[in-house]
Amino acid sequence: MTIIKVLYVDDEENNLSSFKANFRRLYEIYTATSGAAALDILSQTDVHVVISDQRMPGMTGVELFKKIKKFNPEPIRILLTGYTDIEALVDAINDGDIYRYITKPWNDIELNNGIQNAYDVFKTRRELKEKLAELQKTNDELNRFIYSISHELRAPLASALGVINLAKLDNVYSDSEKGHEYWNLMEECCNRLDYNITSTLQYYKNSRYTNIKEEVHFEKLIQDLIIIHKLANNIDDKIKFEVSIDQTEVFLGDIFRIEIILGNLISNAIKYQKPDEENKLIKIDVKVNLLDAVITIVDNGLGILNDHLNQIFNQFFRVHNQKGTGLGLFIVREALAKLDGKISVESVVNSGTQFTLRIPNQR
Amino acid sequence: MPPKAPKPNLLVIIDDSSFDLRINSGIATHIKVFTQILCFSSAEEGLDFLVENLDNPQIYPHLILLDIQMPEMDGFEFMKRYDKFPDNFKKGSNVVMLSSTDDLQDITRVDSNKNVFRLLKKPLQIEQLKAIAEELYLLD
Repeated sequence: MTIIKVLYVDDEENNLSSFKANFRRLYEIYTATSGAAALDILSQTDVHVVISDQRMPGMTGVELFKKIKKFNPEPIRILLTGYTDIEALVDAINDGDIYRYITKPWNDIELNNGIQNAYDVFKTRRELKEKLAELQKTNDELNRFIYSISHELRAPLASALGVINLAKLDNVYSDSEKGHEYWNLMEECCNRLDYNITSTLQYYKNSRYTNIKEEVHFEKLIQDLIIIHKLANNIDDKIKFEVSIDQTEVFLGDIFRIEIILGNLISNAIKYQKPDEENKLIKIDVKVNLLDAVITIVDNGLGILNDHLNQIFNQFFRVHNQKGTGLGLFIVREALAKLDGKISVESVVNSGTQFTLRIPNQR
Repeated sequence: MPPKAPKPNLLVIIDDSSFDLRINSGIATHIKVFTQILCFSSAEEGLDFLVENLDNPQIYPHLILLDIQMPEMDGFEFMKRYDKFPDNFKKGSNVVMLSSTDDLQDITRVDSNKNVFRLLKKPLQIEQLKAIAEELYLLD
């Protein structure tokens, strides 16, 4: 156990000696006969509790405490005073300069309790400070970790995808049926890993970035997203997109999060199509008014079992036998929550799914 | 839109990853636009070479593919120095930066540099490189 270090300040030598006599077995005691001498000791020693007499020539106890608080707020301060001084102390107590005052003449038990309580406060505050520093450190490490995921992990993956591109260009795999299959499998695996890294990053960024207000043009945004996600999912033009945008009002919102939300939903609509459906169709409908943007995304794909509907927004929930990280819709929900938006879903197995979103216009 | 330049000659690729140098020079070969491709594995080497040949019309980099994340001197440091090159040199030479992420910070930093023509996410797709060449040069 740490020995509690106590500094006692009093201009009367007698008081200092009797304090020492009473407490020297319990605490490591420092004494000073003036405010100036006390400050001198504090500048060299890590003291836990400071006890000072109020009435001293040169510098009063309250004046001393104000000074101590300024250069090191850590030591807990106890003032010894007569009843007559109390008027003058009110401000100092309210300002937090003094942890406790004890009336003179003090009795051993009361003063000892005061010191013990003061040390408890000291300890708790110091622990809190250490925990905060620890937390800050963990947070910084997490930031660096995420940065390294985005750069160091993705860089070699991009290289691998580059090699596959080059292999295609050089016609390496046209020679054999198997070669063709293997290269495609490899590309699919790399793309999936790429998607996982990207969605993990999206989740992280969503929890961090502050909300930015920008003008959103849904027509352009949705057309861009369709192109990106068609590319990312390696599909040809066999899926038909019907996009209808009704936006005459200006919409202000957090374009970064809206992009994450719509991108994930469009990507899902593309991914969970029925493989042998002749007329694959995705309908996207946006209506913008003064208050909200209401967006529906309808597909005629695989659909979701009723039992699963209330779980799809959970982290790492995945429908059996389907690719994906189980992060997409979870990220959608988290991002929407930051925008005060709402989402609902209706689905019939083997006939399709409809997501309806409402995102507030932040004008 | 500034007028397109005649068919380009030299492509310079700067990347610390030997894989990406190999891959991107391979892809550039396929578009059959450049007569010469030079690779450098660090920003310093690339800069040294460009500075030494500033007055040599035989060696004029019409296009520079520049990786962002490199040790010691990164792509942005490179651009700080490249910005000091004479204006008539920079006029016909275009820098395309490559990043392994779509980091927002990278994007805003690239946007603010007038000497960067575009930012692309790795892996470089042949269609992207073709489109850039068609945008910049008169090809037959």
